[in-house]
Amino acid sequence: MRSLVETVFEFLFKYRPVVFENGQFVLSAPWPVLLLVAIGLVLVAAPLLSYLRLGGKLSTADKALLAVLRVSLLAVLVFCLLRPMLIVATVVPQENYLGILLDDSRSMQVADDGRARSDFIREQFGPEGSDLLAGLADRFKLRFFRFSESLQRVSGSGELTFAGSQTRLSHALDGARSELSTVPLAGLVVFTDGADNSEDRLTESLMQLRSRGVPVHTVGIGRERFENDIEIARVEAPRVVLEGSAVAVDVMLTHTGFAGQTVQLNVEDDGRIVSAQEVELQGEGEVTTVRAHFEVTETGPRIFRFRILPEPGELIAENNVRDVLVQVRDRREKILYFEGEPRFEVKFLRRAIAEDENLHVVVLQRTADNKFRRDDVEHPDELAGGFPTTREELFQYRGLILGSVEASFFTHGQLEMIAEFVGQRGGGLLVLGGHNALAQGGYAGTPIDNVLPVVLEPRLTNDSSTFFSEVSVELTPFGRSHPVTQLAPTPEESAERWAELPALSTVNPVFEVKPGASTLLTGHGDGIEKAVMLAAQRFGRGRVVAFPVQDSWIWQMHADIPLDDMTHEIFWRQLLRWLINSVPDQVTAAVPKDRAGIGERLTITTEVVDSAYLEVNDAQATAYVTTPSGLEQELDMEWTVERDGEYEASFVAGENGLYEIRVEVNRDGESLGTAASYVDAAEPVEEYFGSQMRSTLLQRVAEETGGRFYTPQTVGSLPEDVRYTQSGSTVYEEKDLWDMPIVFFLLVGLIATEWGYRRAKGLI
Amino acid sequence: MAIFCAASLGAVVWSSAPARGVEPVQRSSVRVTPPYEGSDVRGREFYFTRAIYSGYGRRSSSWRIDFPKADVQFLIGVRRYTNIDAYEYEHPLRLDDPELRRYPFLYALEVGRMALTAAEIEGLRGYLLAGGFLVIDDFWDMGEWQNFEYEIGQVLPEYPIVDIPLDHPLLSAFYEIDELVQVPNVGLASRGGRTWECYSPCQPALRGIFDDHDRLMVVINWNTDLGDAWEWVEQPWYPFTYSSFAYKLGINMIIYGMSH
Repeated sequence: MRSLVETVFEFLFKYRPVVFENGQFVLSAPWPVLLLVAIGLVLVAAPLLSYLRLGGKLSTADKALLAVLRVSLLAVLVFCLLRPMLIVATVVPQENYLGILLDDSRSMQVADDGRARSDFIREQFGPEGSDLLAGLADRFKLRFFRFSESLQRVSGSGELTFAGSQTRLSHALDGARSELSTVPLAGLVVFTDGADNSEDRLTESLMQLRSRGVPVHTVGIGRERFENDIEIARVEAPRVVLEGSAVAVDVMLTHTGFAGQTVQLNVEDDGRIVSAQEVELQGEGEVTTVRAHFEVTETGPRIFRFRILPEPGELIAENNVRDVLVQVRDRREKILYFEGEPRFEVKFLRRAIAEDENLHVVVLQRTADNKFRRDDVEHPDELAGGFPTTREELFQYRGLILGSVEASFFTHGQLEMIAEFVGQRGGGLLVLGGHNALAQGGYAGTPIDNVLPVVLEPRLTNDSSTFFSEVSVELTPFGRSHPVTQLAPTPEESAERWAELPALSTVNPVFEVKPGASTLLTGHGDGIEKAVMLAAQRFGRGRVVAFPVQDSWIWQMHADIPLDDMTHEIFWRQLLRWLINSVPDQVTAAVPKDRAGIGERLTITTEVVDSAYLEVNDAQATAYVTTPSGLEQELDMEWTVERDGEYEASFVAGENGLYEIRVEVNRDGESLGTAASYVDAAEPVEEYFGSQMRSTLLQRVAEETGGRFYTPQTVGSLPEDVRYTQSGSTVYEEKDLWDMPIVFFLLVGLIATEWGYRRAKGLI
Repeated sequence: MAIFCAASLGAVVWSSAPARGVEPVQRSSVRVTPPYEGSDVRGREFYFTRAIYSGYGRRSSSWRIDFPKADVQFLIGVRRYTNIDAYEYEHPLRLDDPELRRYPFLYALEVGRMALTAAEIEGLRGYLLAGGFLVIDDFWDMGEWQNFEYEIGQVLPEYPIVDIPLDHPLLSAFYEIDELVQVPNVGLASRGGRTWECYSPCQPALRGIFDDHDRLMVVINWNTDLGDAWEWVEQPWYPFTYSSFAYKLGINMIIYGMSH
């Protein structure tokens, strides 16, 4: 069905807009043009003179108006005598090919318009035939293709299954162009919902088609907006965590038709619900972000399933579920705690993490000038020389806690090394408060100042006696959902718990965080308001946390804290685990995604550094890929050259199930380390996400290639429109314009207007 | 030798030039003084907190023995030999005072006539189980032991008292201590000769109470009097052997109590 505008246009201008878009305007007068111009001038001059001679009967404005009407009338006549026409290229019937690309992906099964999208394709291209098919077949030799994750030639719609697991529009256009490159190709017509879910670069495909003059006409099937649907648009989860960690995962929900409604979000680990919460959906068009909290208790690769329980009337239930693969490690991570003076914080921190088998805090404590004690070292030589002086020595730890130790204790090289520990090595740095910490410790302007998430008060240096305050902490909105500050199963209960905790003391007033840093806790007390009590930021590859209090052990010892209360332990375990959760090893292994389609080729990327965390380009890296059925494939990894220390290899995930990728790296016969990664190969479910018809994308494809965009309602004009193209075998047609109805209406209108005006002025 | 010299120096400072114009505190003085003017009682890392507990009989206020001179004089040594941010003055607190929980190190002596009230038992039990560290000093012979054993049994009935071996980390927390020295009271020390206050010769003992996680909660110095050594260290006639040992063990107990 054509639009009203197009119908009116064609009635007035004799031809459809596509003819004007593709045609070239020319004048083809049968007489010499100069003769016509001379006749025209005479015809114009005569009425002008006669109006001017009318003398005082008419005003000057009346004369001018009448003259304009008469001149316009004569100009239209002259225009017709010049025989205007459009020269338009049209295809030679049955000498050109037209590629018909039919979307065969699962999203075509969506019944968003009262019936499945695939029904439209079956109707138009089924064995019964249709006007559309007949119209196209009359003019072109048709070549049919089906496409989803790949492109295949088919004889008709009967071969379509609408079960493809992916929509790769760019891949389909490239394939069709290539297959039809040896025949006169009039264009491509794509019948699709446009729900492309590949990572292919569409721009390059369109540029190729444009340069070859192949117009792509797109037919968008389906609705741009679903009536009632909820979708888990994205899940942001850490890929590696320690066993027993509290994990916070951001889940982003979109919907149509459920604004203000409350839905249930469950997180499942191997079928067991580990988290359940109710979520109130925001308004339409807004993303509802909710943070799910749960504890990981099983080691190894774990697939966590995030599920919104389907609501009555939902169009698609499959997009209510998303799976995320998380690698849960069971190993003891080493953290160095350097304390500049004997403090109870040491005792109670050690107690707090004593039963956490994944955390190993090595304490180096200065008990007197040039006198140190070490606790929980692994061997007698560890830290025997005091605080590390080499990268190798410091970078063996995954985290560093700095207590009340003045900046002048360190050499400049050590201060820089601590900054590099965070920025380059990717370690976690936690800075505590104290008389010799932060600004009071003289850290302003040092390399450590650069990495801190807080702004050090330059006025408060080495003069801690000027400030002391007991502060009650308060959870910030950001802290409510942060994994470090979750003291209870739900954010609400956690916030209540924080409000009950006794005040701590600080001698380090901090009021400002740096851009990009986040404040998790603020504090207020005597002479202090909105002080920053816990702030974090990412710096380079690592994380940095500032906790400017000196006696968090009050949360363990205070008389108001019940003896069986675990607040202090939970807080410290979560803080230290979060601090080091994403710290890289000397060898890392990564695949671009944790879930791949069966048959998909995946690239393994490994980064290799030495014990000083300097990139290594001459290592021998080998990847061992174990398939779900237990077969092992050995792959030599090649240095990418583009980046220092980066090696790559690729494999095809041909089986359904979990693939284990283990990378071993050696140099000169010595092991630099190993790393493991996992990928879950399964039937992709992406087809059910973002499956609304994407008219914007399809219009862009058409516009950039010289084609047109249609809907099932307007596709009837497609056979006629496709005729007008420059590509393929064409002939030029002349389309007269002098006999357009609008010319006739214009002439009649001008004459009638002039007559009416003259009559009104009493001239007739 | 170093400890002796420095302790002597500290003692000289104490005896000849009392801090901030305060009169020297004599042994007979048992008053609980408020914080000295100009000193800030808040915000310090360490307080040598003395336990105020109930007693019975003639020495029902035995918690006050050596107070506050021993405390303050010991703190001079602590501040001199370590870099602990220690509050300089005495800091007594009742066992049933909830504020006690803010001070994880606690010193109690002359516990032979200790008679804890129900509130004190509850307060001390909570303190120790929450993470507090208690040092017991200056009680002698079996009679006083039995009284203390009974009282501490009221507080921590489920935890036994055990010997602390000489290779325990407590004895190497700051100084290396390889033998226990019996520190006599000041009278015996000044006269020389016997060092015990028992009816018959007795040996000093270092015992402790550990929690479920083998963490030391209570250190018991029996048949010895560390407090007198701290109190009289400034006197030229006071034997170096006793003061040296008392300071070493006292500092070790503080360092250990702050890190374990």
